[in-house]
Amino acid sequence: MTAVMIAYYVLSAFLLALLGANFVREKKSRNDLVLYLLVMIPLILRLLRVK
Amino acid sequence: MKREVLLKAGLAAGLAALLVWGGLPLYRHRHFDLPIVEGPGVSGVVRLKAYSPGLAGTMADTAVFVLRGREPGGKAILLGDTHANEPEGLLATLIFIENAVVDKGTLYIIPVFNNSASRNTRPGDGYPLYFEVPTDWGSVRFRMGNRDASPLDQWPDPDVYIHYPERQLLSYIDIRNVNRTWPGRPGGPLMERVTYGAMEIMRREKVDVAVDMHGAETMFPVTNCIVAPERSVKIATLAALTVKAAEGFEDHVEPSPAGFRGLSHREIGDHSGTMPFLLEAPIPFLDQPTGPKTTKLLMDGKDPFLLSLAGKKKLFVPYDAAGWSMERRVGQHCSVVLEILRQFSRKNPDKAVVIRGVPRYADIVKHGVGHYFSDPAKADAEKVVRN
Repeated sequence: MTAVMIAYYVLSAFLLALLGANFVREKKSRNDLVLYLLVMIPLILRLLRVK
Repeated sequence: MKREVLLKAGLAAGLAALLVWGGLPLYRHRHFDLPIVEGPGVSGVVRLKAYSPGLAGTMADTAVFVLRGREPGGKAILLGDTHANEPEGLLATLIFIENAVVDKGTLYIIPVFNNSASRNTRPGDGYPLYFEVPTDWGSVRFRMGNRDASPLDQWPDPDVYIHYPERQLLSYIDIRNVNRTWPGRPGGPLMERVTYGAMEIMRREKVDVAVDMHGAETMFPVTNCIVAPERSVKIATLAALTVKAAEGFEDHVEPSPAGFRGLSHREIGDHSGTMPFLLEAPIPFLDQPTGPKTTKLLMDGKDPFLLSLAGKKKLFVPYDAAGWSMERRVGQHCSVVLEILRQFSRKNPDKAVVIRGVPRYADIVKHGVGHYFSDPAKADAEKVVRN
């Protein structure tokens, strides 16, 4: 795995953590909750090395 | 508060279920290994990392089958699955591996040249994950791959791909396309390491002929042809004329453009003493204006939209209700490879490559591709290579 590839994995993990934090903090909007989860999908699949 | 927690837990559980439902088939596809039975002519199997150490431990490493003849002679290399969504090349190389006996010379065969791409898919285009080839003893399941390597193995893509060593600017995605990364380099991006490995086979083993087998859209002008650079064009022309006269199918010759870099038919000849050829067979599955991308369309090549376009003369190949079946495509590749080797051997008797046991176009159309495959369950376990 190259250094730039590792950096992109770290970036993905960071974005996933941000989305997760926003998901936990969200109190009002059900739409936003769903939206956070949908945006997480490609990041989780990449970090798990599925797709 | 309790209601909010329940809602979030429910949504998170839904996400987890969606990930398992969607992700598990993709995970299984990526880790599905194809059993390849070594035929009577196979004298050894090595990994490409032996020629390109940068491939060690990666999904791009792949098997190289070596078929040494009884007598010394010339050397040839056959490549399949350069584009893993064009499986006629893969199936043709497997027919050679399982059936060919080399009397003179040596044959190197890499059936899954882009191993990473063969474990990738194109869900946005509705590609099937697998396809099956019927045989006399059941059926064989193959991974249906993609044109480009998986981003799991080579990521990120650049904004523009700068070809090495010519520095030509190419589409960003072609950095994962092994037919744009020739001649490659040992420490470059993963796909460059793949092509470097093949170049090293050709340079170290002094390979005389390289044949890279593909499929191309019926609406694409470079289809149903042999692409050859200047040094290969005489042999290609003789092969094209011979198969047309003797076997009744068209396969014209296209010149390899000198200004388009990274392709096997250009870079192999420019960076080694090997004579390259690239074969294209028409594959309706890849055309855009077709019905659903089903395994049936992949295998029989029958599509009503293409038939309508053929009536309007919009295709570059003859097309009728019979479609363009896998048997025809694989049969063409086998016959053209045999003919290229025969013509090369006639011109260079001291470097002849003499092969027997490989069926030709008419045999494959009559009996089917699977007729020439052995059952891995009944083969000696030591003779089954999983790739």
